[in-house]
Amino acid sequence: MTLALYRIDDRLIHGQVVVGWGQPLNCSFIVLVDDEVSSSDWEQDLYRMGVSPQIEVIFASVEQAAAQFSDWEADARVGILLVGDVETAVALAARVPQVKRFNVGGVHHRAGRTERLRFVYLTDEEASKLRELAARGVEVTAQDVPTARAVPIGEFT
Amino acid sequence: MILPVEVLLALVVWGTFVGVDLVSLPQMMIARPLVAGTVAGAILGDIPTGLKLGIVFELLQYDILPVGAVRYPEYGPATVAAVATAHASAGVLGLGLGALVGLVTGLTGGLTINLLRRINSRIVHAAAAQLESGDPGALVRVHVGGLLRDAVRAALVTMVGLVLAWLARPLLANALTVRGAVILAVAAVATALAAGAAGTLRLVGRGPNLAWFAAGLGGGLVATLWLR
Amino acid sequence: MAAVNGARGKGALARALLRLFAVQGSYNYERMLGVGVGVAEEPLLRDLDATRYGPAVARGGHFFNAHPYLAGLAIGAAARAEHDGASPDQIERLREALCGPLGSLGDRLVWAGWLPFLSGLTMAAIALGAGWIAVAAFLCVYNIGHVALRWWALKAGWTHGTRVSVALHHPMLQKAGAVLGPAMAFAVGAALPLTAAFLSGPFDAWARIALAIVAALSFILLRLRGDRVNGLRLSLAVAALALVAGVLWP
Repeated sequence: MTLALYRIDDRLIHGQVVVGWGQPLNCSFIVLVDDEVSSSDWEQDLYRMGVSPQIEVIFASVEQAAAQFSDWEADARVGILLVGDVETAVALAARVPQVKRFNVGGVHHRAGRTERLRFVYLTDEEASKLRELAARGVEVTAQDVPTARAVPIGEFT
Repeated sequence: MILPVEVLLALVVWGTFVGVDLVSLPQMMIARPLVAGTVAGAILGDIPTGLKLGIVFELLQYDILPVGAVRYPEYGPATVAAVATAHASAGVLGLGLGALVGLVTGLTGGLTINLLRRINSRIVHAAAAQLESGDPGALVRVHVGGLLRDAVRAALVTMVGLVLAWLARPLLANALTVRGAVILAVAAVATALAAGAAGTLRLVGRGPNLAWFAAGLGGGLVATLWLR
Repeated sequence: MAAVNGARGKGALARALLRLFAVQGSYNYERMLGVGVGVAEEPLLRDLDATRYGPAVARGGHFFNAHPYLAGLAIGAAARAEHDGASPDQIERLREALCGPLGSLGDRLVWAGWLPFLSGLTMAAIALGAGWIAVAAFLCVYNIGHVALRWWALKAGWTHGTRVSVALHHPMLQKAGAVLGPAMAFAVGAALPLTAAFLSGPFDAWARIALAIVAALSFILLRLRGDRVNGLRLSLAVAALALVAGVLWP
């Protein structure tokens, strides 16, 4: 198979990802791309606790992800790629042209961000980066769980 | 449907507890339709009807996975209203009408949950400076306010459901033929079973648990045939 | 640190546990469980000196989202870290890092495991004639697990502080995760035909055939178009059609 879902979600590995998407997709591995988490043993330990032992969790920085991307795409199993913020998604897409879609699954409130959807809060800069990403041919939609509608980028940025 | 005032009051109180239990306090699962329906049935002196409608809405509940902040209908107070409707119309007619009233109430409940969360968001946003000051009193006030609003919301949803239950008989029951009542009940049970099966399969996924699901299904079928 | 242990510490833990039952009371899209988490954490912070107490209470109320039954783990861990003198950045990072794993673990164990497993068993038991006793048993057994999980989580977080991932390696959690998935699948699978027979008991033969056809078509629609159709919408639409047919068909 291949990477079935590319998701921007600031909670990274959580219930919507593992149960909401992971179960119906029969996901066997999760690639978590985050520069900070990839260098933090205790955080990696925590995130591993969030999935069942049958699911492999791979931690990578953006650079490592760019180098290993083709291996994950060629993997016979179904996988999910997760990034924690818009910046990482943009950096990854810039280095890996094969990334053709991103699902904004959850970006929550912080100072400077305004509500775009009930599960998407963005600064103006983040919204503009997502629009640029879409202009470069990446399909950007917002959808928290598979049973919800995929909201096109034009409706939330 | 004309119920004694004390029974109506008990149903509103129960529906309120059930509605608050879903998210706010204490999440002990009295909000599950199986429990909400059975106790509503006991209040009405009709536990079998409570159990039946409880199962119909419990199956629909499987369609919902409350992960993160997803939106979902609210089937607890809905089941209370459904049981009140069904109690007034015996047999198959009650099952279909009860399910219909419950579905509309469930939809209303879900909308009010979303509305409440939006109101809470505004209040939390407005209180940000107080919350950031580290004043525990402000924290408790915002929190208790949310709890109270949820209780009012749950009571209102239950009352709306009971009004629908009261209207259902004169508006719908008299218009339905006997066959029509059966068709409505078939529609309610069939879609509930479908939602239960589809929702469970989403939880089960396509991994090894699918074999366990198939084994359970097979065992259930054998038991059903054997009991006939 | 000594001040937070002993009888006073236990009293604070008990108060935090009680408040935890209402942790989602002010659920909102901006901070999600944050305010409730702050309220539940506050009793554990009362022994901090005045300069640390206010900022710690404010941090407690920041954005947080996880499974409500396991939120206590983050509350206990954050409060312990405050007492241990961890920096504000460390504590914020700990809370952020706990959101996802606690949500995922709780959803797998409870929402996709313990709850549907017991609900499936209860539906099957009712269909087999157990009546309200099955519902009472469901409430009792479910809540033994519920309360035990809340208490364990709070205590584990409070014990381990920033090293809270140690608690998540508990063998019981691993074992429960491995057992509950198959158990849930089996129990609900078994319950479906039993409840179908129970609910269709009063129907005539033609109505049972119609039931099977409508259920099969609805199931296919929900499986194929699950992103657009959900159980509620479908049930309402089919019930509306049935109502029209029921009024017109003599």
